[in-house]
Amino acid sequence: MSQLAETYACVPSTERGRGILISGSPKSNAILYTNGRSVIILNLDKPLDVAVYAEHAYPATVARFSPNGEWIASADVSGAVRIWGTHNDFVLKKEFKVLSGRIDDLQWSPDGMRIVACGEGKGKSFVRAFMWDSGTNVGEFDGHSRRVLSCAFKPTRPFRIVTCGEDFLGQTNGLMSALADLYHVLHLGPIAEDGLSISRAPAWLCRACPMILLKDHSNFVNCVRFSPDGSKFLSVSSDKKGIFYDGKSGEKIGELASEDGHKGTIYAVSWSPDGKQVLTASADKSAKVWDVTEDGNGRVKRTLTCPGSGGIDDMLVGCLWQNDYLVVVSLGGTISIFSASELDKAPLSLSGHMKNVASLSVLKSNPKVILSSSYDGLIVKWIKGIGYSGKLQRKENSQIKCFAAVEEEIITSGFDNKVWRVPVNGDQCGDADSVDIGSQPKDLSLALHSPELALVSTDSGVVILRGTKPVSTINLGFAVTASAISPDGSEAIVGGQDGKLHIYSITGDTLTEDAVLEKHRGAVTVIRYSPDVSMFASGDANREAIIWDRASREVKLKNMLYHTARINCLAWSPDSSSVATGSLDTCVIIYDIDKPASSRTTIKGAHLGGVYGLAFTDEHSVVSSGEDACVRVWRLTPQ
Amino acid sequence: MASSLSCLLKLSLVADQANAASGMAVHDDCKLKFLELKAKRTYRFIVYKIEEKQKQVVVEKLGEPAQSYEDFTASLPADECRYAVYDFDFVTEENCQKSRIFFIAWSPDTARVRSKMIYASSKDRFKRELDGIQVELQATDPTEIGLDVIKSRAS
Repeated sequence: MSQLAETYACVPSTERGRGILISGSPKSNAILYTNGRSVIILNLDKPLDVAVYAEHAYPATVARFSPNGEWIASADVSGAVRIWGTHNDFVLKKEFKVLSGRIDDLQWSPDGMRIVACGEGKGKSFVRAFMWDSGTNVGEFDGHSRRVLSCAFKPTRPFRIVTCGEDFLGQTNGLMSALADLYHVLHLGPIAEDGLSISRAPAWLCRACPMILLKDHSNFVNCVRFSPDGSKFLSVSSDKKGIFYDGKSGEKIGELASEDGHKGTIYAVSWSPDGKQVLTASADKSAKVWDVTEDGNGRVKRTLTCPGSGGIDDMLVGCLWQNDYLVVVSLGGTISIFSASELDKAPLSLSGHMKNVASLSVLKSNPKVILSSSYDGLIVKWIKGIGYSGKLQRKENSQIKCFAAVEEEIITSGFDNKVWRVPVNGDQCGDADSVDIGSQPKDLSLALHSPELALVSTDSGVVILRGTKPVSTINLGFAVTASAISPDGSEAIVGGQDGKLHIYSITGDTLTEDAVLEKHRGAVTVIRYSPDVSMFASGDANREAIIWDRASREVKLKNMLYHTARINCLAWSPDSSSVATGSLDTCVIIYDIDKPASSRTTIKGAHLGGVYGLAFTDEHSVVSSGEDACVRVWRLTPQ
Repeated sequence: MASSLSCLLKLSLVADQANAASGMAVHDDCKLKFLELKAKRTYRFIVYKIEEKQKQVVVEKLGEPAQSYEDFTASLPADECRYAVYDFDFVTEENCQKSRIFFIAWSPDTARVRSKMIYASSKDRFKRELDGIQVELQATDPTEIGLDVIKSRAS
C-alpha cells in the first residue's frame, strides 16, 4: 500500500512578455495557479499542502474560486472552461466551450451566478459572459478587435464589467489600446437576482449595452481590477502607467504617481482587502505597494524587491494580495510571499520546477536532501519535511539531459557534446570543468565508490572519463541506449537498441566483453546496480523490467510486465530488497525481490504525463518526479 | 446397428469438414472432460494442446479440484500457445458462493508466429465444442492472467 506523503509543487508556468494571473480563495489562504495542464491549489499557510487538478486536455491558463469558495472555474488554451468543486475530489460540475481561442482571464460575478471569460477568439468573440450552471450566453460584447487580456466584474451595484486588451484603433500616432466598459445587463433588468429576468428579455439586452471606450493608455493594458467596494478600478499597462477610473461612470480620476513609479511594464495589480492600497508587479523586477489617496491618485508606499540572481528571471509577472499575504511571482517561477503587516520582513521564497523534471538524485550521506533537475538546466534542492530549500546556481546554465550526483560533485550533460563536472559546496557551485567527447551523450553513470571514474555512452559507443579526461573512447559497433558502471568501477553494462545487455569488465582503460544477455524485447532504457552490488536491474521500452543476479548473470525476477508503456526510470531501495520502476504510463510500481512479480504495489497516476525520475530516500519512502514538474514523496506500508 | 455405425461415421465426417479453416479436428476426449468439469466438477482446470502432426486438439493436462490458481498458471508454458478452461470459485459481495467457467486463449508474445496463427484460427471452432463457457479471456503475457484480472472479469 502506498500513500502520498509530500508534494513539492511546480511553479506557475510563465512566458516572457506576458503577465500571469493568480487568484486567491475568498474563504481561506489558498491560491490558485496553473502549470501545463494542471491547476495547482497552494495553501499559503502550509506551502507543503498542495492539491493538483489535472483534468484539462489542454494547457490551463487561469483558475478562479467562486465567491462562496465552493467551486473553481478554470480555463485553458482551447477556450474551454471547466467548473469543478473545491471539495469532494474535484467533482466536475460542467464544462463549456466558451471561446474559440485561448482564454486569458475569467471572473465570477459577485453573486456567483455568472462568469465572464475573455481572451482570443478567432475574429469574432473575444469576451463572453454566461450562466455558471447552464452555459447560456448572457450579454453581447462588441468593440474589441484584438486579444482581451483581462476583465473584471464590479463587486457592487450598479454592476459593470470592464475589459482591457491589446486593441489598437489605427490612430495616426499609433495609439495601441482601448479599454471597453460595458453597462452590464444586470443594471437594466428590474430584478437581477433571480436570473429569470435576464433570460426573459434577450432582445433588448443586446441593444441596451452601451459601451464606453477609454483610451488613456498608450500600450497593451495588461490587467484591470475593481477595488473591493466597487468605487474605483485600476488599469495597468505596458506603458508603465496605472490609471484610476471611477467605478460607476468610467471617468478617469487619477493615476499612479510617476515619481518613484515603475520603470518597466506593469503586468499585474491587486487591491488590498480594505481597498486603501494596491500592489503592482512589474518587469523592472520590483513590486510596489501604493497608498490610494482620496482624490484617486496613488502614492508609492513601499517598493519590494525579491532576492534573485539578477537576470531576466527576476522580472515580476504576477501578484496577489491575499489577506495578510502579498504574493509575487517572477518570470523564473519564484513565488515570494511578503507579509502585508510587516513589509520590512524578508519574504518567504518558494520555487520549484516549471518543466518536466527529468532526473532525481538522493545523496547517500544525507538522505533527506533530494536534488532534482529539469531539461531547462534548473537544479533544485529539496529537504524532506521542509520542501524547497534552494536552487543550485551554476555559472553556465546550459540545458541538462543526463544528471548524476555524488557527495560533492555533480556531473551533467546536455544536448551538445560536452560533459560538465561541477563541484558543489552547500548551495554554491564551483567552477565547472567540461570535456567535449565528440558526440551527444546518451547516458551517464558514476562509479559511486570512486567518483572520478565516469562512463558516458554515446550513440555508437562509450567513453570512460577519469576526472575530465577521456581515457578511452570505444566504438562498440551497436546502437547504445543505456549504460551503467558498477560502484567499484570494475564492470560496465551497456544496453543496446536491440534489447541486448552487454557486460564488460574494465581493466585499466579497456573494456573486454564478458557476456551478452538477451531477454529484453525492446530497446534497453535504464540499467541500475543494486546498492549491495549483488544484483542489477534493467528496464526496456517494451515496458518490461528484469532483475539479474550479478555473479551468475541469471534472471532473478522476471515477468515484471505490469506497466503499459515504456519504463523511464528505475531505483533500488537502500537495503536492496525492493525495486521501483516508473513509466510513461504515469504509474510507479514497486516490486519486492523475494516475492513473485504479481504481488506488487502500484501507485497509479503519480505524475500526469509520465514518471521520469525515481529514488528511494529510505526503506519505506519513494520519491518520484515527472512531466508535471512536481516532485512527490510516497510512503510505503508493507502489506 | 448398421445405421448407428453409419450415423457415427457421418458425424465424424461432418466434424472434419466443418473445420476447413485450419484443418484441426477436435478429439472427443476434449469435450468429454469439459462436460465432466461442468457437471460433476471433477477437475479444477483443463489445458488443451494442438498436436500439429495429428492435426487435433487434445487434452494435455488435468487439474485436481484441490489445486489452486497458481498451479494452473504454472502449468501454462511460457513460450507456447495453449487453450485452457478454468473453473473459478469466488464469493460475491452478498456473500454468495459462485463459480464461473473461464476459457483462456493463452498466446504469449514469445511464442512462434506459426503457433499463434494456428491457435487463433482454430479457437472459434474449438470453443463451439465446449458448451457452457461463461467468460473468455485472451492472454499474451503472465500479467494478463494475474489473479486480479480473473477476479475483475468474474463479476
